[in-house]
Amino acid sequence: MSIMEYNGGSVIAMVGKDCVAIASDLRLGNQALGISSNFQKIFPVTDRIYVGLPGLATDVTTLRERFRYRVNMYTIKEEREIEPETFAHLVSSTLYEHRFGPYFIEPVMAGLSKTPSGGLKPFIAATDLIGCLNFAKDFVVAGTASSKLYGVAEGLWEPGLEPEDLFETISQTILNAVDRDAYSGWGCIVHVITKDKVVSRTLKGRMD
Amino acid sequence: MPDMVPMSVAQPQERQFNPYSDNGGTILAVAGANFSVIAGDTRQSEGYSIQTRYAPKVFRLTDKAVLAVNGFAADGNMFVKKVKQRLEWYRHAHSKDMPLRAVARLIQSMLYARRFFPYYVYNILGGIEEDGSGAVYSFDPVGSYEREACRAAGAASSLVQPFLDNQIYFKNQTPAPGTSHPAHLALTDVLALVIDSFTSATERHIEVGDGLEMYVVLAKGSPLQGLELVQGVQEMSTTTDGERVFIVRRNLKRD
Amino acid sequence: MENLFAITGKGYVIVAADTTSARSIVKMKVDEDKIKVLSPHLLMAYSGEPGDTIQFSEYVERNIRLFQIRNTYPLGPSAAASWIRRSLAESLRSRKPYAVNLLLGGYDTNKHEPHLFWVDYLGTMTEVPFAAHGYGSYFVLSLLDRYHNPEASLEEGLATLKRCIAEVTKRVVVSPGQYKVKVVDKDGAREIEI
Repeated sequence: MSIMEYNGGSVIAMVGKDCVAIASDLRLGNQALGISSNFQKIFPVTDRIYVGLPGLATDVTTLRERFRYRVNMYTIKEEREIEPETFAHLVSSTLYEHRFGPYFIEPVMAGLSKTPSGGLKPFIAATDLIGCLNFAKDFVVAGTASSKLYGVAEGLWEPGLEPEDLFETISQTILNAVDRDAYSGWGCIVHVITKDKVVSRTLKGRMD
Repeated sequence: MPDMVPMSVAQPQERQFNPYSDNGGTILAVAGANFSVIAGDTRQSEGYSIQTRYAPKVFRLTDKAVLAVNGFAADGNMFVKKVKQRLEWYRHAHSKDMPLRAVARLIQSMLYARRFFPYYVYNILGGIEEDGSGAVYSFDPVGSYEREACRAAGAASSLVQPFLDNQIYFKNQTPAPGTSHPAHLALTDVLALVIDSFTSATERHIEVGDGLEMYVVLAKGSPLQGLELVQGVQEMSTTTDGERVFIVRRNLKRD
Repeated sequence: MENLFAITGKGYVIVAADTTSARSIVKMKVDEDKIKVLSPHLLMAYSGEPGDTIQFSEYVERNIRLFQIRNTYPLGPSAAASWIRRSLAESLRSRKPYAVNLLLGGYDTNKHEPHLFWVDYLGTMTEVPFAAHGYGSYFVLSLLDRYHNPEASLEEGLATLKRCIAEVTKRVVVSPGQYKVKVVDKDGAREIEI
């Protein structure tokens, strides 16, 4: 019995052309027994940053609360919103604080960061459960279906996808990946972040 | 009497020999309407070491049957050798090649015969049935088997299989109103998907890479369906008036 | 073994818990109340390690009461659930964690909605339309997948609950005999005889 697989669940984030997308499944289980088909693992951090927290469900809630607190404190002290890169390091250091008794979560982040010229640049990152950062250029995955997500994403993803095409790509990736994972599934949610809006869609999936 | 040195009392010692190993790699097969594609990478590894960059995992059994074997390479090679021997005996006894569905049942019997000391291999058999349709049979190490339209096995099966579900079976895809998904894909489309599957698996799995061998089995009297345009295609069949077997080789990343 | 069930319906939550208190194979008590009324519109059913259940549930009960005394208004269902979850989550990483599973049923008097939370000893919390703890959950959850109706009246809800209890009594080897049932709706929390 692995703690990382106790509740199940998976998250993926992808980069597109001037946009990013992040998606997760909605299952909460106790090993093989499904408890909930509406357990959110992705949370908004700012208007332009989302974080996905697959892993042990109690730590999903605890870390969400911790990140919310730390980001609020940052916003108050700095009098500005946190940037994705900064948030990624905040996540990393929060996890590393518990190096020898970790939170059993592998966070995935997606956002748009400000460039010096005033534009917005897609940003994605993921860490392991002790906060080792991975800044990927294409996509990042985590959770019980991670190997399946890697396989499908590697086959479907291409550079420079427009928001609607990115939505289709990430949706197909997560749906087909979780259908081959007993611990993930029971519906999915997808967020596509663009410069002027975030589009969130809940997807119907197989319920077995 | 000199002082006796107390000898250590003999303790029972446990020794173990593990007769199995995992040699990585991935295999894959897709059935078309009148053809079958059976593919495998050629890397053979143990742990983090590459033993060889060219160890075939896919074998032509007859002109209508190709077998891909993945798992423990020594068992795989021995198993293929024994299947080939049984097929030769069949040829001597009946003056013809064994039909594909019979080869499949033979493989089941041979695997199950070793139920309590199994061949540590996943088998995928591809070829042409007696009715001329393309077929894929997949097996577990003890002989449980099933006829399917496509199957991936081996180290990167968890990466490849969901991709195939999406692209071959059109899972989670809704056809445009008034249209339907094709029941079978064209040979050129299948070859493209197989190459994509292996390049993807090579990218993300350390045990997959080096080379790719794709066998194509065409039904009797079937046109080449674009196969003649594929670069480097080689014919492997003994006759050109029955089912025909071709091989296509590609390089994969070696890192 | 211990069983907790809960169902939401149109403007109410029904919470049911078996009444046996067992130690190993011996029934020590058959009329134990495992559902606490935490505030006028909040019910908490609990199960788990015998000592922990009492200690933790009374700790929660007193703290929820304290909030009400200090602030003159009670915590809403989701706020109370969040506080209780956090208590369990903090306990989980302590020297001796509480081994207590909970079902929290409440009625939000501001938004006029019923709420039900499934909480386990790890501090896992999720809002659900119906919930269960214990071996009974393996039968009851699939039964409720089929028969639960969020628009059902209280009578219909109780009928569904009875089907659940009947199924568990019939199919689980070590099933408890009696259940205590409590309901919370706009009129507050009360016990119901079934």
